Amino acid sequence: MKKLSKLLLALSFALSITSSAFAVTVASWGGAYTESQRLGYGDPTAKKLGVEINWVDYSGGLSEIKAQKEAGAITWDIIDVYAKDIINGCDEGIFVEFDFDKDFPAAPDGTPASEDFFAPMPSDCAVGNILYSWNYAFDTRAFDGKEPKTIKDFFNTKKFPGKRALYTGAMTNLEIALAGDGVYMGKGGSEIYKLLETEAGINRAMDKIKELCNDENGGCVFWSAGAQPPEFLVAQEVVMATGWNGRFFNAEITEGAPIKQVWDGQGLDYEYFGLVAGGPDEANAKKALAEMTSTEGLAGSAKYIAYAPYRISSLEIIEANEPWFKDGKTEMMPQMPTAPANTKKYFLVNGEFWAENDAELSEKWEAMKAGL
Amino acid sequence: MSSETKQILTTDGIPLEISLRKAERKNKIKAFLLVSPLLLFLLITYIFPIGEMFTRSIDDKMITNMLPKTFKSMETWDGKELPPEEVFASFLSDFKILVDKKEHGKLAQRLNKEKNGFSSTVKKLFRQVKRNKIDESKNIKEQIMKVHKRWRDVEYWRAIKRTAPPYTSAKYLKAIDMYLNEDNKITQVSEDRRIHRILWLRTVEVAFFVTVFCFLMGYPIAHLLATLPMKYSNLLMICVLLPFWTSLLVRTASWMILLQQQGVVNDFFVMIGLVADDNRPEMMYNKVGTYVAMTQILLPFMVLPLYSVMKTISPSLMRAGKSLGGTPFVAFWKVYFPLTIPGIGAGCLLVFILAIGYYITPALVGGSSGTLISNRIAYHMKTTLDWSFASAMGLMLLGGVLVIYWLYNKLVGVDNIKLG
Repeated sequence: MKKLSKLLLALSFALSITSSAFAVTVASWGGAYTESQRLGYGDPTAKKLGVEINWVDYSGGLSEIKAQKEAGAITWDIIDVYAKDIINGCDEGIFVEFDFDKDFPAAPDGTPASEDFFAPMPSDCAVGNILYSWNYAFDTRAFDGKEPKTIKDFFNTKKFPGKRALYTGAMTNLEIALAGDGVYMGKGGSEIYKLLETEAGINRAMDKIKELCNDENGGCVFWSAGAQPPEFLVAQEVVMATGWNGRFFNAEITEGAPIKQVWDGQGLDYEYFGLVAGGPDEANAKKALAEMTSTEGLAGSAKYIAYAPYRISSLEIIEANEPWFKDGKTEMMPQMPTAPANTKKYFLVNGEFWAENDAELSEKWEAMKAGL
Repeated sequence: MSSETKQILTTDGIPLEISLRKAERKNKIKAFLLVSPLLLFLLITYIFPIGEMFTRSIDDKMITNMLPKTFKSMETWDGKELPPEEVFASFLSDFKILVDKKEHGKLAQRLNKEKNGFSSTVKKLFRQVKRNKIDESKNIKEQIMKVHKRWRDVEYWRAIKRTAPPYTSAKYLKAIDMYLNEDNKITQVSEDRRIHRILWLRTVEVAFFVTVFCFLMGYPIAHLLATLPMKYSNLLMICVLLPFWTSLLVRTASWMILLQQQGVVNDFFVMIGLVADDNRPEMMYNKVGTYVAMTQILLPFMVLPLYSVMKTISPSLMRAGKSLGGTPFVAFWKVYFPLTIPGIGAGCLLVFILAIGYYITPALVGGSSGTLISNRIAYHMKTTLDWSFASAMGLMLLGGVLVIYWLYNKLVGVDNIKLG
């Protein structure tokens, strides 16, 4: 009996070593999003490469991986991060730098990876995953048939009276404030960021938000969790809310909420994968990452969530196989933040700008909020 | 007859005093060994991290070692106008070493924490250096100034100079919206960026009022719990403890549903005609929301210590007070209340200290006033990775709590705290 238990112990120990040696751990945001990643490209990749892929939830930011690194016990191989985090993390030496066209496969038609992605990578350590949108939605019951159509309407409290819900931080609010104030956005919002590099531009944006929040016909509620904007709209707490298009899609299509999205002046934002330098299984993680971000891989996740695959060639797969959504009847192309109809007027959220300026701008933003 | 001349000896001839001490020492060692796991635990999980936090908050050696020549040549620069050629030259030579070691990114990060805008400025210089675009035989100052307009801005050079000392109190100054300017004078930051002092005050204000509300509501409840017959008090106790068994986020979300403008409470007010439908009061996403939600969440921490103290007060004391001629109020105020002070102290300290570190609940229900100092600590931990600033603010929060503890000790006495 004693021998048997010893044997079992040794066996389980050996098993735990082997299973950890061939497993890649990916940290992502959890919920429906991680589900879409797991089903869309995680499981297919695991099957194809014969590597186990574990998904763990985290709440964003680099503090955990930095702590793991400082303690010398890294447990994550791949992290799903914002642009500003991948930029900062690359500078701090947390992530591996890629040789992009060599490390990632070309599109089926032979376009090299670096040209197949919707926008250039913000850092040598980044590989694109999805694009999502900071757009706004309104309560269809609120305006007796009138419908806000532009980003200017979001700030027009005369025509569309009622409270607005805004993101609690400065990011994207300053951009839409300028767009709503009639600033010419330029290609991908370049003119807006040029203006935000100046003191005058920042003040103009802050004043616009202040005006909206202090308006008797307007007023602001600030949201900090992604689930809040659709909830506010459904509960009639606000008449319009900025938010993430995937959440609005879920409320509108899956749950049938009386809300509608407006794509004018939307902010396209990106999610990236970073490969942790010195992670537990760097070699396999690199292979898995290339597979997950391939044309078919990225197209797969759009079956489960309304975020656009970063690769242009993935959209062709979706278009050719509509209706692509898992319910078998919803066409996904019109829901994609990168669809031509939705990108008539948009800005690309400038991760580099925010990585550099967020600390000071957030102080100004909080000071503005404190004076409301 | 003095003790020195006539010692008491044990049977084996050793003075009793020494033999007693020996036996006691053995006991002491035993006792110490018994508590040593706890001591070690405290040392590893508490004292050491706090010490680590402190060094992190003042340690700025990394950049001091990165730019040794620059700081040396900056010693004679008064910071009034752009630094001389010599400073530019030594900066370039330091920078080239960093590029070779691939540490320029770390420098960009560190400098960007000192002054926003450095990140892209340093990166642009890096690209020029990597392409060997800067000719060291010519005027380096002019070449660097051409790379990015911020290299022509004296503010940025002053920011570099500020990072020179290996140990710095800058993070503590920053936490109260101050900084050390080029004349070594403590100055306020520009007005539109003074946020931390507002947040410190707001944090203390919220914690204070939440403590007051908890006390006002918790005292009668605890009294009822202590005096009701067991049958009812048990039920009431479950009501008090129920929030303990529910997740914090669930409780916060329920308050949102109850108190929002189109929420249950407002609907009820409209139904009974208390308020007009188009004039519903705002009870959520402002300070009211914060106070209500936090008071409910922290109430058990007030009720439990009060209850445990009140339970031990004999009801005959109040009767005695009344039979000696006091009105019920006088009896309560002169007899009962003073006896509950240890419970009040414990409850108030507990609630206040917990409230001062809260940030998720206020962020969700507090609207534009929902940012507290802990939000900024979390923000710098997670987003900007400025851990030294986060450590400094964390230690200041801890210091504040210790001050309150000290004040309490002075006014009431710590031995008067009773948790049960």
